[in-house]
Amino acid sequence: MSPAATIRTRSDLLKLLCEAAELEHGIACSYLYAAFSLKRDISEGGITWDEQQKIRRWAAQLYFIASQEMLHLALVWNVTTAIGGTPYYLRPNFPQNTKYYPLNVPIELEPFGLRSLRRFILYEHPQQGPPGLDVKELLRLPGDDAEDIEFGSVGELYALIESGIRNIGEKELFIGSPTQQMTSDLVHFPDLVAVKDRASALKAIEEITEQGEGRVHHRENSHFEAFVTILNDLQASGAQGSSFSPARPAMTNPSAGLQRGYGANANPIDDPLSVQVAALFDSAYSLMLRMLAWSFEFDAAGVEGQLKTFCSAAIDLMPRVVLPLGEGLMLMPAGNKYPGKTAGPGFGLTRHVMLPPHAKNARRLCSERFKELAALAAGLLQNPLPNPVRAGCLHLQEMADTFDARVKL
Amino acid sequence: MNARDFDVVVIGAGVAGAMVAYRLAKSGARVLMLEAGSRNPSRAQMVGAYAIAAAKTPHSPYVQAETDAKVPSPDSPTDYYEQPPAPHLLYKSTYERRTGGSTWHWLGHTPRLLRNDFLMRSQYDGPNLPAAMVDWPIGYDDLEPWYCEAEREMGVAGSQAEWDGLFGSQRSKPFPMSMIWPSYSDLWISDRINGEVFEDAEYRVRSTPSARNSEIYDGRPPCAGNSICVPLCPIGAKYDGSVHVAKAKAEGASLWEQCVVTKLDKDTDGSVHTVHFLTYAGVPQSVTAEVVVVAAHAIETPRLLLMSEIANSSGQVGRNLMDHLSKSTFGLAPEKLFPFRGPPSTSGIESFRDGDFRKDRAGFRISLNNDGWSRKNAPYAEIIDFVTNKQLIGAELQSAVFERVARQIRLSCSVEVAPDPNNRVELSTMKDALGLPRPKITFTPPDYSFKGLAQATKTMADMFRLVGATDLDLGTDPTAYDGAGHIMGTCRMGGDPKLSVVDAQCRAHDHKNLFLAGASVFPTVGSPNPTLTLAALALRTAEDIAIQLGVKTKPQRNA
Repeated sequence: MSPAATIRTRSDLLKLLCEAAELEHGIACSYLYAAFSLKRDISEGGITWDEQQKIRRWAAQLYFIASQEMLHLALVWNVTTAIGGTPYYLRPNFPQNTKYYPLNVPIELEPFGLRSLRRFILYEHPQQGPPGLDVKELLRLPGDDAEDIEFGSVGELYALIESGIRNIGEKELFIGSPTQQMTSDLVHFPDLVAVKDRASALKAIEEITEQGEGRVHHRENSHFEAFVTILNDLQASGAQGSSFSPARPAMTNPSAGLQRGYGANANPIDDPLSVQVAALFDSAYSLMLRMLAWSFEFDAAGVEGQLKTFCSAAIDLMPRVVLPLGEGLMLMPAGNKYPGKTAGPGFGLTRHVMLPPHAKNARRLCSERFKELAALAAGLLQNPLPNPVRAGCLHLQEMADTFDARVKL
Repeated sequence: MNARDFDVVVIGAGVAGAMVAYRLAKSGARVLMLEAGSRNPSRAQMVGAYAIAAAKTPHSPYVQAETDAKVPSPDSPTDYYEQPPAPHLLYKSTYERRTGGSTWHWLGHTPRLLRNDFLMRSQYDGPNLPAAMVDWPIGYDDLEPWYCEAEREMGVAGSQAEWDGLFGSQRSKPFPMSMIWPSYSDLWISDRINGEVFEDAEYRVRSTPSARNSEIYDGRPPCAGNSICVPLCPIGAKYDGSVHVAKAKAEGASLWEQCVVTKLDKDTDGSVHTVHFLTYAGVPQSVTAEVVVVAAHAIETPRLLLMSEIANSSGQVGRNLMDHLSKSTFGLAPEKLFPFRGPPSTSGIESFRDGDFRKDRAGFRISLNNDGWSRKNAPYAEIIDFVTNKQLIGAELQSAVFERVARQIRLSCSVEVAPDPNNRVELSTMKDALGLPRPKITFTPPDYSFKGLAQATKTMADMFRLVGATDLDLGTDPTAYDGAGHIMGTCRMGGDPKLSVVDAQCRAHDHKNLFLAGASVFPTVGSPNPTLTLAALALRTAEDIAIQLGVKTKPQRNA
């Protein structure tokens, strides 16, 4: 892609939106993995009380930035359906190739630390007004040459998407049904922009770029600036000679087993119980994504209230199941192959069909899947589990038990 | 001008004083903040003190503060104030003596006053409107640009769509951050009551504007739902006055802490230039300035003016002390709503704040809360009950507690208190640790407000009915109320020097270079939390002071 390139067809625009969806999605997982790895309590060791307070601030920012990446994915989906496409939720599993996206840095699952923060800064650095040598120096790790650090151009991807939105005739481009658009009234997600025309599509893209991808000079409150501040803070703690160890010793790029690897160069979790929890995490996470992607595609005209109940069940999976299982995995052993390391969620997208267009059948598939996952959770609960994992399993059981009464679609 | 030690001395480094200090220091003035409290202990130390406290009260993080003997404890209205003994009613709101002020343990809600809140006499005159209920000398439109400015300075999250035009109160700018997202419980209640009508007003749940980051703002992190806004935010996502203390210092203002001001001297020409203070060691000192700003909230401000025998030609200093009458009610939802997460309150109902009824009784806000029955000692009370009365232990106990606690709802109201000159702050003969007279407080809420409280209780009962709640606790004593922590009045603003203490610019009628900042100047209070209004007034006053000093103002309104 050259900076001068412009997009002139719907198909090219849809392809780029898929790429944007993959990127936002992958980056959100990477941030979440780092956030899951942060220690919660001084009893975990390696942190003082004051350092724990510092970690709380970092966790607040990491989880928030991850949630904004989820919002970006949702906005990209709204643009996609507005121009006649379908929400794209797939992505390659982790780790992802350095050159697969215009980032010049891989998307990986890695615990919080200097290396992961460096990646995050590279994901978010401003496109214009290059941060310059000071940032390169900040990003240099022992043994690295700062000159090797190459800044990517996510901003360019969004510039191309914007060119497509501007170039293609408005009436010709926006063929999606307005009632197909997902809004904050339907899904419990703040700041979601309904896309119905060129102006609202540009607004959605602007919201994404302004929050962190840095198409213009970075702002004080951008993702980029937040990560630079955290990195400075972390380095300052190290410079003061503290033995500060803010993260759990989680493995990198875990995978929950053979069937979930599909080609990725991941590290299979070696502990038999951890691998079962990680597999349950992947299944719950995949179900949530399938439900959300389906909701964004579904035309809710006349049945908004019913769709709301379906969306609510999908969103609830995040705090009630995905979050506690993800955090809890980082308290479980990675297995004999990884001495001293704990496990982590692989965010593996389990192979499955898109939910069918027929609402009754979609609901039925989900109901059955909830019950299957609840049965797996019941099996796991027979074992000693860290508290967050136990909570995630209990929540999953309760959600399965109440799904049919709660979801009216 | 340079003959004085400073251009401006600001007494009190809370939110109002710090904002005045910041804006004037930024304009190039030589500013000193004199603060009676201290910045210690640190935030991390206070979070630690709270974590290990056996009883979690608003004061538990602050118990190590060196100021304990010199101020009221937030946990008791009678350990410092002189108040008449029971059965007299008590003034229940207290404050924190600390750099940054009581915003350290405020909830963070920032609704504005309504257009009619400034016009109580002209809109609702009649035989039942309390005699001291007056119009402000300024109106909503005078303050509106400063409301926007205060929202930007503090970092307020809110929904423009929900709040623009509320009871005719337009908003000229959107909130700087999108709203704090409503809790699951808020949404569940909204689904069941929105659009229903109670005595001619329609329920509509709105996200409550809050000086709480919904995103990274001003270099501070977003709210992460630590749920302990009161007594303090562990990560600084909730705004507090220490933010502007730091900004003022960065602009060159000085801050002297643990300096308790004892007296302001009046010169022969009626101006006030000399400020006397005591260090904690009891050493008397003084400092001079061209302009003096008293920003010591509505109890310490009149106390200082009374000790100094200034600004009181009207006899109004200390009078018309107000608060909001607060009351909590409790119910159990028919399904789990998962309280005890997120900020303690994220949504409320504004529908009952204004209307013709205000000729006869007070308006009120209702808050939907996310803290279950913690005011009734949940979850400990449930655990004790299940263990002692049902002999539950282990998983059975855990499950029983969860089943009950997850369904708990608390609603609360904040009722307008009408001004009454007999409700007042005077000097007690009892002395504090520095030998200064303690505040003597007399406070009996007027019937006008108790009628509002009764109506608010009926309204909350109706809300519980609409959502199908059971196990209701609406209270039984119609005169029972809690303090809202909203200390207001005592140095009312007005156009007539015979009837008020300060003019519309918050300048003392009696002293051309003495200004008051804070809720002490409110002539009436409506029903919203007062901090945004006092911050807007402080910013407006700072500009007037800058003009008086001849320093160039650098308003940020277009930033």
